[in-house]
Amino acid sequence: MTPVETDKNVEIWKIKKLIKSLERARGNGTSMISLLIPPKDQIPKVAKMLADEYGTASNIKSRVNRLSVLSAITSAQQKLKLYNKVPDNGLVVYCGTIITDEGKEKKVSIDFAPFKPINTSLYLCDNKFHTEALSELLESDSKFGFIVMDGNGTLFGTVCGNTREIVHKLSVELPKKHGRGGQSALRFARLREEKRHNYVRKVAELAVQFYITNDKPNVTGLVLAGSADFKTELGQSDMFDQRLQAKIIKTVDVSYGGENGFNQAIELSAEALSNVKFVQEKKLIQQYFDEISLDTGKYCFGVEDTLKGLEMGAVETLIVWENLDINRYTFRSLDGEEVIKFLNKDQEKNREEFMDTATGAELEVVATMPLLEWLAENYKNFGANLEFITNRSPEGAQFVRGFGGIGGLLRYKVDFSQFVYDEDDDDFWED
Amino acid sequence: MADPTSTPANQDEAATKLGQMNLNADANEFKPSVKAREFVPSWKKATPAPESQEPETKSSPATTTTTPAPAVSKLQAATPTKGASPKIAPKADNDIEDQFDESLLDENFKEHFNIVFIGHVDAGKSTMGGNILFLTGMVDKRTMEKYEREAKEAGRESWYLSWALDLSSEERAKGKTVECGRAYFETTKRRYTILDAPGHKNYVPSMIGGAAQADIGVLVISARRGEFETGFERGGQTREHAVLAKTSGVKKLVVVINKMDDSTVAWAKERYDECVQKLTPFLKGAGYNPKTDLTFLPVSGYTGANLKDPIDPSLCSWYSGPTLLDLLDDMQAVDRKFSGPLRLPITEKYKELGTVIVGKLETGHVKKGQSIVVMPNNKIGDVVAIHAEEEETKVAICGDNVHIRLRGMEEDEISVGSVLCDIKHPVHCVTAFEAHLVILESKNIICAGYNAVLHIHAAVEEVTLGALLQLVDKKTGRKSKRPPPYLKKNQHAIVRLETQKPIVVEPFSVSPQLGRFTLRDEGKTVAIGKITKIVTN
Repeated sequence: MTPVETDKNVEIWKIKKLIKSLERARGNGTSMISLLIPPKDQIPKVAKMLADEYGTASNIKSRVNRLSVLSAITSAQQKLKLYNKVPDNGLVVYCGTIITDEGKEKKVSIDFAPFKPINTSLYLCDNKFHTEALSELLESDSKFGFIVMDGNGTLFGTVCGNTREIVHKLSVELPKKHGRGGQSALRFARLREEKRHNYVRKVAELAVQFYITNDKPNVTGLVLAGSADFKTELGQSDMFDQRLQAKIIKTVDVSYGGENGFNQAIELSAEALSNVKFVQEKKLIQQYFDEISLDTGKYCFGVEDTLKGLEMGAVETLIVWENLDINRYTFRSLDGEEVIKFLNKDQEKNREEFMDTATGAELEVVATMPLLEWLAENYKNFGANLEFITNRSPEGAQFVRGFGGIGGLLRYKVDFSQFVYDEDDDDFWED
Repeated sequence: MADPTSTPANQDEAATKLGQMNLNADANEFKPSVKAREFVPSWKKATPAPESQEPETKSSPATTTTTPAPAVSKLQAATPTKGASPKIAPKADNDIEDQFDESLLDENFKEHFNIVFIGHVDAGKSTMGGNILFLTGMVDKRTMEKYEREAKEAGRESWYLSWALDLSSEERAKGKTVECGRAYFETTKRRYTILDAPGHKNYVPSMIGGAAQADIGVLVISARRGEFETGFERGGQTREHAVLAKTSGVKKLVVVINKMDDSTVAWAKERYDECVQKLTPFLKGAGYNPKTDLTFLPVSGYTGANLKDPIDPSLCSWYSGPTLLDLLDDMQAVDRKFSGPLRLPITEKYKELGTVIVGKLETGHVKKGQSIVVMPNNKIGDVVAIHAEEEETKVAICGDNVHIRLRGMEEDEISVGSVLCDIKHPVHCVTAFEAHLVILESKNIICAGYNAVLHIHAAVEEVTLGALLQLVDKKTGRKSKRPPPYLKKNQHAIVRLETQKPIVVEPFSVSPQLGRFTLRDEGKTVAIGKITKIVTN
């Protein structure tokens, strides 16, 4: 992956985090301003609109509300003054007074140019920030629909960006073929055919419900998967919507239905979906797993090893779970020495972690910040590329559960002595 | 084409792997159920009944020689019996069951055999099955003529025999079995249920379901030039099926070299020998002993030569062994656990004058009118009727493949993969268990959080690898102190598996048939294993 793309990924992650924090924020009355300016709009035009709003808002009856709205508009105006023209990708401004967890008021004003053009114009005062347009920005990768259909049930899913979503699951009981014969053999065969036909019809109808909104398909492509003939039957059936039929990009054979079939279908249609982040993520982790299985030594995992690797400059690609919940603590001990520790939620509860092992005195906390943020800011200093992954792909889930959600691909072989996993070592085995 | 230099290495590898695992090796000797009834002293002490003195002394020698009995008693103690009190397993009742069993064994009508036909796609499994049905008179001449006519119309003349087993239109149109077909025939000596497994690699899940019910496997090999090689190559189903059959509990294989009448073969001894020679080391690697577990014979499924009647010596002078049916008739009886607790994994269900379920009795027996419980739903009901294929019977014993009509539950309340049990001895239902796993195939590595599909008896369920507990040295069997961070191909390990929904399992040591499983992912068999411990909470 090129450095530019990596930067973009980090950018996306930052915006994601921002959206999360904005979504949580709540304020008084209608004092939270969300302002989105599309590219090629004019700053003075927006400034005038704000001035007009200021006039209108000064008529608000409630004193508290009036003051907070006016102050929010003022800060929005000030933010706008920082720009003499709208950036190439448009401009996003959020201003307002939010109430923090402790019940205190806090003034927030954020302005930034998004990583890709935002084609929405928005001005809203509400008791929350409106982030829908930004979320859309993250999702605007093409979306692919999947229908995994077999004799036991059907799964409707979508893959978009780095998310894999199961829209609907449906299970059916179809009569199996059987050896019972005699007079009723034909009747059983007919019943079976009828049930199967109804099943195909039902799936076709549901497909329209899930993949067509406002008379238009909401997916760029549709993949049909299944173990037997159902998928082809569905694809060719008259009951299947013509608009969706045109969107079928691939029909793949999978051995199972349900989620496992869904995963296999994604795997098999990887070529057609090569631009989707989800598939790229799978590939990256598979590459990482390949290194491990070939025992090249060009990999590392765990916080300690990975950071050691980073400091050596050996890490080429740093792979981190986007929800990694580890904080980076900077302590100062009594003799003025700085100590850095990485603690997860459980370790933070343990008082011993905050003690100086030598003297037993409590350490002074100089700074705390989430490890993720620290990495996002500093990864370039170590000459590494940063990749955020999710735990939604099967590979991602394994990485998070099996390797603690942090690891890296190395440029050269490094021996991390404390984590040697040596089968020849006699201590390794129980008697 | 298989690379001739690489194959032996692979086979050796597989040989050691399966050899060490001993998945089925101890299955034969282990008969926990027989002792289950004899293990009564504790109850006896609680309720001293003078008349039960005699049976106890009779059974005592058996008890002294066996160890597994406590395991079974533990099982009973650990399982909270819902609906029925566990105490109602009195001595008197046990005695009745004893007598009952003996009477069954004495008259022993005809033993029931379940045979699964396995092999690569287009090896001729269905055709051979169809022909056997025709030759034994299970499908009458008129029907066969009708199939022949229809097949001719469809331009698929040579497929007509398989139509006796491939019933649905899509199977007939493509000539590929999709679901396991089942049929029934009888010889003078035995009764048989044929399970015709699909050969195509996408339908392997269905094949596993069939193999799980079988006592004996018939591995069908096409001798036709080219076909044999593709089936045998890596990725061909000959290999996969043989391994899967072994892990599903099929102890003996009859390897039929089919299509000997083909123009590229023409009953040539050289070709037959070549096939046998190539297959033997591999099957040995899969855990079959070539001397005791394997039998080879040449047949033609299409012409019917050597199925029921011996081959015309003018065609083939070099083979004078038994025909396929003779061979099956003379096969040594499979070990049955007549007296164990009732276990019947449900493989099929349908509605016909009530709820009917289909499956093979793994252990125990079932009587008409008996109260049963279906796990994991914990549904209690009664047996209204038992059909052993065509005719109705009063009892079915272990090994029988039966249709049972139930009262007290609706069809949609039970699902395939549930297990029908004795109301007094319900089976374990869990969402997590520990198992000894052997990784057969993996793209790179496997670590905690890995998702796959679990096949165990008739059930198919998605599982997650919860945790890797210990690595097992495959040579010495020693276990590691620390859990390994990941597993690679050919490694053995003790792992913890978790399912979403409760499934019915037993430790392998208690019930091999409910304790061995296969893990599959993306159309490949990733691992095989046996359950070592059930995690209850």
